[in-house]
Amino acid sequence: MRGQWMRAIGDRLRHNLTTRLILLSALALMVITGINDYTRLVSEREHLIMQTREDERIFAETLALAARYNLRRGRTTEELEGLLEEIVARPGLVAVTIYDPDAGIVAHTLAPGSEPAAPDELVRRSLHQREAVSAMADRPSGRILRYVQPFRWPGGRTGAIEVQQTLGAMERQFRRAVRTTIVSRLLVLALFVLSIVILTRWSIARPIRALVAAARAIGRGDLGQRIPVPRQDEIGELAVEFNRMAENLQTANAELVRQAEERLRLEQEVQQAQKLATVGMLAAEVAHEIGTPLNVISGRAEVLDRIVPRDHPERRNLDVILGQTERIKGIIRALLDYTRPRRPALRPEPILPIVGRVASLLMERSRRRGVRLHLELPIGLPSVMGDPEHLQQVFLNLILNAMDVTEKGGTVRITAGPDPALPSEGRAGILRGKADGPTLAVHVIDTGAGLTAEELSRVFEPFFSTKTTGKGTGLGLGISEEIVRAHRGEIEMLSVPGKGTEVIVRIPLADGASAPTGPEAAEHGR
Amino acid sequence: MAKQRSILVVDDDAEMRALLLDVLRNEGYDVVEARDGTEAVLALRTRAFDLILMDKNMPGPSGLDLLPGFRRVCPASQIILMTAFGDVPSYMEAVEKGAAEYLFKPFRMEELRAAIAKALHLDAQSRP
Repeated sequence: MRGQWMRAIGDRLRHNLTTRLILLSALALMVITGINDYTRLVSEREHLIMQTREDERIFAETLALAARYNLRRGRTTEELEGLLEEIVARPGLVAVTIYDPDAGIVAHTLAPGSEPAAPDELVRRSLHQREAVSAMADRPSGRILRYVQPFRWPGGRTGAIEVQQTLGAMERQFRRAVRTTIVSRLLVLALFVLSIVILTRWSIARPIRALVAAARAIGRGDLGQRIPVPRQDEIGELAVEFNRMAENLQTANAELVRQAEERLRLEQEVQQAQKLATVGMLAAEVAHEIGTPLNVISGRAEVLDRIVPRDHPERRNLDVILGQTERIKGIIRALLDYTRPRRPALRPEPILPIVGRVASLLMERSRRRGVRLHLELPIGLPSVMGDPEHLQQVFLNLILNAMDVTEKGGTVRITAGPDPALPSEGRAGILRGKADGPTLAVHVIDTGAGLTAEELSRVFEPFFSTKTTGKGTGLGLGISEEIVRAHRGEIEMLSVPGKGTEVIVRIPLADGASAPTGPEAAEHGR
Repeated sequence: MAKQRSILVVDDDAEMRALLLDVLRNEGYDVVEARDGTEAVLALRTRAFDLILMDKNMPGPSGLDLLPGFRRVCPASQIILMTAFGDVPSYMEAVEKGAAEYLFKPFRMEELRAAIAKALHLDAQSRP
């Protein structure tokens, strides 16, 4: 039980800063005040003894004078004792004894319960040396102070009077002083400990515990942990530094997480790109290898298709072959569509060189076809966010298509501006993609036969072509749409049957470029 | 038909050549076949063709490799290039190198007829 208690105290001392601090400071206080109190009490005791002795001296001298006077008057022993009897009523007085020059007791009186004095070495020494002597003596009733005062005995010799006084009162007084001191010291100590306890609890233990809790939380990974800093002292400083450390940790951690995520994202992108590239290569390979035999099958079937009458009994077999080859083509297309378009590298680019290059490429062709090609883009058009190679593909497709559907003597115009060139009357349209923010619109306008609303609705289907009607080559608008969408732009096709078709490509402007103003058309080509 | 038009078919696949020969001869064209670039060059040495229908992918020099030379040697011949479906970069290159038309395998015979008709039509227009 006792061992347990001791161990608990030991543990507290080892692990609890507050307890240790309190104990040490209390010990220090006790030692300092203890030494002070001890010296003070010792000197006080000496002072009390001295005072008692002084009292006794004055009393003894007075008695000696009285005794001398009475003896000179020839008073008898009885008379002297009667006199002493009156005096002995003084509190604390134990005995008064008068000695003659031969150290014989002439008279003496005793307080009740006291032992009679006897002439001893002290008395003889006083008689002999004729001077006052005092000493302490222990009696069964307690410590006493003896004082022997010589005086002139009638007849020229020396007698003495001894006063014995108990030190009880003094001792009581002293004990009281000790008690008072101890009590007040204990009170001071208790107050001191209490105030230290409160002080450390509030200004050290509590904030340190908060620090420990926050540090633990951070250790567990809760980096958002902060300590309130209501103070300017060292602990407040520590809290500020701690918070800064937590802040730095959090920042560093967030940066690490961000980097890791970035790396992961890049890796995934690379993987995805590699996967697409692999699938794309495979698909291209398959498309290439299958293309020719499939072409042979479908071609032969088409040859038969033209020969075999519609009501021929074997007609169904032929239709199945034709249908299934179409199906295989569809599968290859789907595979290629999934992998083909690489992501365009968007950067600010002026549109004029892009369209201009395509136009100059097709100038010779248009001359041979007897179709006029007018490039009517104004100088100073704002730059767009685009990939020149991709955009060239778009305009090559669009202009080729436009030229293919335009009869000899017709015109293909390329313009810029917000509004369609075709009149709204009888006009049908189809819009693909959704442009965000300001765009630059480039129009490719032909004077061909135009498309019906039904044809327009299918024109963006992958590899739809009006080629089967005898006109048009190109890659189809599907690829153009994909590219324009990848530029976050939109493509619109408007047509008026009998008047012509207009394709509008809207590509977002490069940052800082402003929307085009005024239709100052600079005409290029013919 | 005032004059029989001539076509040189260049393809390394025998069945493909046979199909094209059958279809085009049936259309009334004078068709000669070559199985690769070398045979095509030999054929072009002996006579001229109104149109060369050439596969892009062949052993030896590809259709794209041969295209500029053919354009130089026989500028009067229109050239149609055939290649695998979805081969967009080749398409761009072919247009730049002066191919009149471009066909993605597998194509329909109708597409073939239309492309040939248009290419020869172009040729007719450019002639004085």
